[in-house]
Amino acid sequence: MSFLSLIGIEAGKIRRSKILLILAVATVILWIPSILNADMNFGMQAEGISPENNFLIQGFMGMAWFMFPASMVVSTVLLNMTERSNKGILKMLSLPVNTAELCLAKFVVLLALAAFQILMTVLMYFVSAGIVSQTQDYDFILQPLFVFKEAGLIFVSAIPMLAFFWLLSVCIQTPIFSIGLGLASIVPSVLMINTKIWFVYPMAYPFFVITAEYGKLASNLTTAQLEFIPWLPVAAFITIICLFISCLRFGQAERR
Amino acid sequence: MSFSLECKKVKRTGFTPAFLCGGFLAAIVPVLNMAVRSENYLGLHASSVQILMDANWQMMAMLNILLTVAGACLMYHTEYADNAIQRMCTLPLKESKLFFGKVTLMALMCIVILVIEGASIALCSYHWFGLSREVWVEVMKNFGYALLLMLPTAFGSLFIASACKNMWVSLGIGVVCVFTATMLPTKNFILSLFPFALPFQIFAGTAESIVRNFMIAAVVEIFIIGIAEVLFLKGRRLFE
Repeated sequence: MSFLSLIGIEAGKIRRSKILLILAVATVILWIPSILNADMNFGMQAEGISPENNFLIQGFMGMAWFMFPASMVVSTVLLNMTERSNKGILKMLSLPVNTAELCLAKFVVLLALAAFQILMTVLMYFVSAGIVSQTQDYDFILQPLFVFKEAGLIFVSAIPMLAFFWLLSVCIQTPIFSIGLGLASIVPSVLMINTKIWFVYPMAYPFFVITAEYGKLASNLTTAQLEFIPWLPVAAFITIICLFISCLRFGQAERR
Repeated sequence: MSFSLECKKVKRTGFTPAFLCGGFLAAIVPVLNMAVRSENYLGLHASSVQILMDANWQMMAMLNILLTVAGACLMYHTEYADNAIQRMCTLPLKESKLFFGKVTLMALMCIVILVIEGASIALCSYHWFGLSREVWVEVMKNFGYALLLMLPTAFGSLFIASACKNMWVSLGIGVVCVFTATMLPTKNFILSLFPFALPFQIFAGTAESIVRNFMIAAVVEIFIIGIAEVLFLKGRRLFE
């Protein structure tokens, strides 16, 4: 069975799970306060950021710090639970399919869910920016290319985090520990981005990247900027190790 | 009977260790914060407990809420997995009793984690600010208030968990609710009444009238969610 058809099967499994609805609702809720408090975007002279940039960045920061990582923890639960309930995993393991491939196919679906949520956020951004442009009589809509660049940055920087969450949900059989650890690990990311060793903490990457972008756009504000040298190798290392261990451990509890 | 049954059900699910770990994790927050940057807090003119709560409670409350949501999902997951709930429904037992048994256990675990956190706050104020007799009373008042405001969250998350058969749906809705709560301004009274936003409130340094309003609101919310749950279960039974 080719890897592509495996991904298709995994995507089919979650078709009726309503996860897309949950992910979409979260993005709608994300932008509501931004629409209601749109006039606050004009009072950012101290930071030196233009209202339209501020509108985008504040929304994206709200997404990157809690909503996006937490939704991804929920998605990992979904991917694992569909398999474990009614012992579906036993059937999958009895097929002549490489378990590592199976694990990676699920991870690709997780990446697709992450991409979906980020795209929904971007879509909702354009909708809410359109609304705010009407109510505030000021053009809030930014160049689509720029918005997609920022969104893409969040997605790429989130891959190590997703690999870590995937590792948690594969290796820890007790659901409350994998969920609890995943959710609890998000909370300290606010502290971690202010330290020098932020690059060892994958959960802080998306938030760090977007905060760095904020510093770039706000002329009077200096935030820590991305330094690729310690970051990229460490991030790649974390991703590969997490995926490697999860591929090894996938289905191990059932194969005993 | 229902309560002891609930204790037995969560025995091998890692529920108790998870709450203990979560409690200790939240308790470490003020200790770490004081250890790393105590100079930011020592010069402030306020009671030690108030300083510590202002500096750390947002994060601690967030951990508590996440723990409650995850715990609630797990509690009902044990029922829905392999259709155990159908057996529970055939017993000569009201389905709502199941809910209140779970609420009792959850409230107990909330007390446990709040005691751990309260001890940590007291320890911090003893170590960095010097202990006075009033600290204990103040810590107890603060955490009693925190417990009361946490109960609506526990009720709410268990309500969601009981309504959804799939764990990820209840967890997803819970996470969305927590996310909404983080975006609501804590100073706005009406918006803070959202059950998942209540635990972010701090007792120390708040006017007495506001504290009273929040306490009344929390009790009212508990009653409303309790009644809603009973009605919901009755309604669902009719259509099953």
